[in-house]
Amino acid sequence: MSKESTRDPAPKRGVSRRQFFKGVGVVGAGTALVPESSEAASGGAAFKPGKHSITLKVNGHAVALEVEPRTSLLYALRDHANPPLTGTKLVCDQGACGACTVHVDGKSAYSCNLLAMDMVGKEITTVEGLAGADGKLHPLQEAFIAKDALMCGFCTPGFLMAISAQLKKNPNATVEELKHACAGNVCRCGTYPHIFEAMVETVKKMKGGA
Amino acid sequence: MSQAETKKTTWGPREEHTLINHHLRRLDAPEKVTGRAKYTHDVHLPGMLYGRVLTSPHASAKVTNLDTSAAEAMPGVKAVVKLYSDEKGLKYEGDPVAAVAATSPELADDALRAIKVTYEKLPHVVTPKDALRKDAPEVYKGGGKGNLRQSGSRGDLDEIKGIMAKCDVRVEGEYSTPIMHHVCLETHGVVVDYRGGDTATVWASTQGTHSVPEDAQKALGLKNRNAVTVLVDYMGGGFGSKFGLMLPGEIACKLSLIAKAPIKMMFTRHDEFVAAGNRSGCSVKLKLGANKDGKLVAMQSEVVRLGGLEQGAFAGLPYVYNVENVYSTAAALHTHQDGSVAMRAPGHVQASFVMEAAVDEMAAKLNIDPLEFRKMNLKDTAYHRQLDKGAEVIGWNRRPKKAGETPLVGAFKSCKRGMGCAVGTWGGGGYASCVVDTFIHSDGSIATQVGTQDLGTGTRTYIAAILAEEFGLPMSAVEVRIGSSKYGMSVPSGGSTTTASLAPAVKESTTLAKRLFFEKVAPMLGVKPENLTAKGGKIFVQGQPDKSLTWKQACKVLGRDNIAAQGKWNAELQGDGLHGVHFAEVEVDTETGAVQVIKMVGVQDCGLPLNRTAVESQMNGAMIQAIGYALLETNIPDPVTGNMVNANMDDYKVPQAFEIPEMIPVIDDGDTRNVVIGMAEPAIIPGAGAIANAVFNATGVRIKSLPITPDKILRGLERLKRS
Ligand code: FES
Ligand code: FES
Repeated sequence: MSKESTRDPAPKRGVSRRQFFKGVGVVGAGTALVPESSEAASGGAAFKPGKHSITLKVNGHAVALEVEPRTSLLYALRDHANPPLTGTKLVCDQGACGACTVHVDGKSAYSCNLLAMDMVGKEITTVEGLAGADGKLHPLQEAFIAKDALMCGFCTPGFLMAISAQLKKNPNATVEELKHACAGNVCRCGTYPHIFEAMVETVKKMKGGA
Repeated sequence: MSQAETKKTTWGPREEHTLINHHLRRLDAPEKVTGRAKYTHDVHLPGMLYGRVLTSPHASAKVTNLDTSAAEAMPGVKAVVKLYSDEKGLKYEGDPVAAVAATSPELADDALRAIKVTYEKLPHVVTPKDALRKDAPEVYKGGGKGNLRQSGSRGDLDEIKGIMAKCDVRVEGEYSTPIMHHVCLETHGVVVDYRGGDTATVWASTQGTHSVPEDAQKALGLKNRNAVTVLVDYMGGGFGSKFGLMLPGEIACKLSLIAKAPIKMMFTRHDEFVAAGNRSGCSVKLKLGANKDGKLVAMQSEVVRLGGLEQGAFAGLPYVYNVENVYSTAAALHTHQDGSVAMRAPGHVQASFVMEAAVDEMAAKLNIDPLEFRKMNLKDTAYHRQLDKGAEVIGWNRRPKKAGETPLVGAFKSCKRGMGCAVGTWGGGGYASCVVDTFIHSDGSIATQVGTQDLGTGTRTYIAAILAEEFGLPMSAVEVRIGSSKYGMSVPSGGSTTTASLAPAVKESTTLAKRLFFEKVAPMLGVKPENLTAKGGKIFVQGQPDKSLTWKQACKVLGRDNIAAQGKWNAELQGDGLHGVHFAEVEVDTETGAVQVIKMVGVQDCGLPLNRTAVESQMNGAMIQAIGYALLETNIPDPVTGNMVNANMDDYKVPQAFEIPEMIPVIDDGDTRNVVIGMAEPAIIPGAGAIANAVFNATGVRIKSLPITPDKILRGLERLKRS
């Protein structure tokens, strides 16, 4: 796995993964536990099973959600948000394909590996939010179109988010760096050569435009 | 519709195309890069329930107790169905046992866990070795016939043995290919919207929009196929595995009959690996005989297809090459594994790998350049042209002349480089079925519609190109409607038959539309319809460009009337018979056994390419899947438990960014047939053979079983050292 942000960093605020799972337990094993709300939970205790109301910040908007402690960010976006945000794709559900990549506080992350309730207070960006508010496409999106860097398109949002996160970090990124940025992504149609071309094109453009 | 006398439709001279045979942008790319493209998996309906299937954890079992009461009692669980019967039994890991529909995906998972099943495990076989054992349990009870079922032979064994004995040189080997998985990123699945009543709508991740309505109508007990509308706006990959309603669809229909609510039933990734089909494997004994002058003379082969519960696929041997004297047998060996289904060039990828390995070995034994040796034994000159082209592009002259005797390169001076090539063939012709409609209205809108689907192949885009070119309009000025069974009939996308079946009907439709349109417009310009031309957004009189109307002006003439032109298949606009070659350059690390493909070249014909960009993308994609097949991918069954041990995307590795070499897709423009032919399948065929042969060239190690993993390389090198 290539993305630092998915390496399960010990959260500075909120609960640790281990504490969290203690709270979830097996289905129906309604043991524990204290706080009702996620805000309270960030005090360090475990979550109670069942539905919790949270608000996530997605693409600059507040999104109110009802999720369970076990609900991943991916499912929260796709199945629990209203209207659903389905640009982010579910493919492997285990951090092995990159299709669900989003930005969390500007860094790329696999949303299937993150728990929705851990995401309170963070800035989430999905592929729907990659273009500007005015609808102007990100240069990487433009380049994907121009270079035919997609076929069925199911992997495309994940690649776009993974690569664009790296470009945010370093607009002069080399192709090698950008390949690393999406080394965890899978495209079964095999669009990689055109994705690489799109990377080159984007860096050229961003340099020109900067 | 006026049936004016028909002039023979053709694609016209190549140099006159303004869009076809050019590099075109994919029409739906903006939808896909913004996340707006809605796949079946993305469909949300009010009151929609999530379906999940409980599948057998055992390769062979009986269910002695199936208790779904706890699941049924869970609030939010709206339907539970039992899918097991004693007659059916459980014959593979993944065989459905029961299914649920619930108000959230999490709840559906809980409901599955709440189902109590008692299994009685039965003896199973999941490897060829076990399946062939004398005391092996029979997968199909057949009175002691065992699991190996012969399906025919060809030739006279004694005669061939005699000829073989007289050959100057012989090579002989046992080859095998693994069971491979499609790994469509969008898993198999549907959203069935049936709430009681006479009609239903089904969103399906399918390669055949029109392959679903009948299945769904039957499953829901509705009147006829028209009662079901099937929608396939976007779909996330099929590669041969998605036709008809399929298992998730059948189950979703059952659930919706109970719940009377829309059901989304998408396979999980694990379901997808164990129950969505796969590419069959093979194990083959092959013997080739040749004369000193480099002519293949005799072949003897024993093919065993490994299709699990199915028959598997294997193209005939000798594959492509001309060998006059042949004896061959074929059989299917059954195991308790999910049955194989079509996957990109079924049978051909397997046959090509086996044949090409033997041919390559023969060339080496005869000390003839493998490329020249191929030409000596390939009658069809298209291959000669393509081999020469591929050799030029990859730089075949850089190829080490003697296998394994290459300088060590790389950071640790541990790597060897080599090159290989291989060939493939495919039919790819079309057939009558598609019904395409083109409409023009007085507001200038122009649209072509047909119930086809775009798997990422670019169907949408080439329909627009044909239409726009016909009327001299930019592609942005035309509309294409596909992906609904309410539009005209279209063929399922299998066997690379879509282009050859669909594009001629599109062309017929747009040609007729233009003729009808010109009949209306001609009087306005005071000329005969045949004197009109459409170009650059204008309709003008040939030779008098100033006598013209803009597209909008011309359309106004329609008033309240409109143009509706239906086109059907025209055999003369399509062809079949495809050729392709692959060249691969690899770097093999002799310390670690790792193989990296560093350059790959494909040369592929397809008659008249409709969109060069899409063809190149297909060629790249096919070569990349071939890299996976050659080096990475294999279904690993555990003989003891009967389970597939790598049924997830972490352990079943497919090519990713760092497996991708420099890739050069070359469209064979030496093919001047003025007909369209689908090419997505053939573009994968020779890849694995080319890579395996390159590995041999680099190291002197001939790997006869895919995938070529480091352990096989290291063992091979060790053997070489000792010999
Ligand atoms: S779905 Fe999250 S990495 Fe595959
Ligand atoms: S475009 Fe289909 S998986 Fe990447």
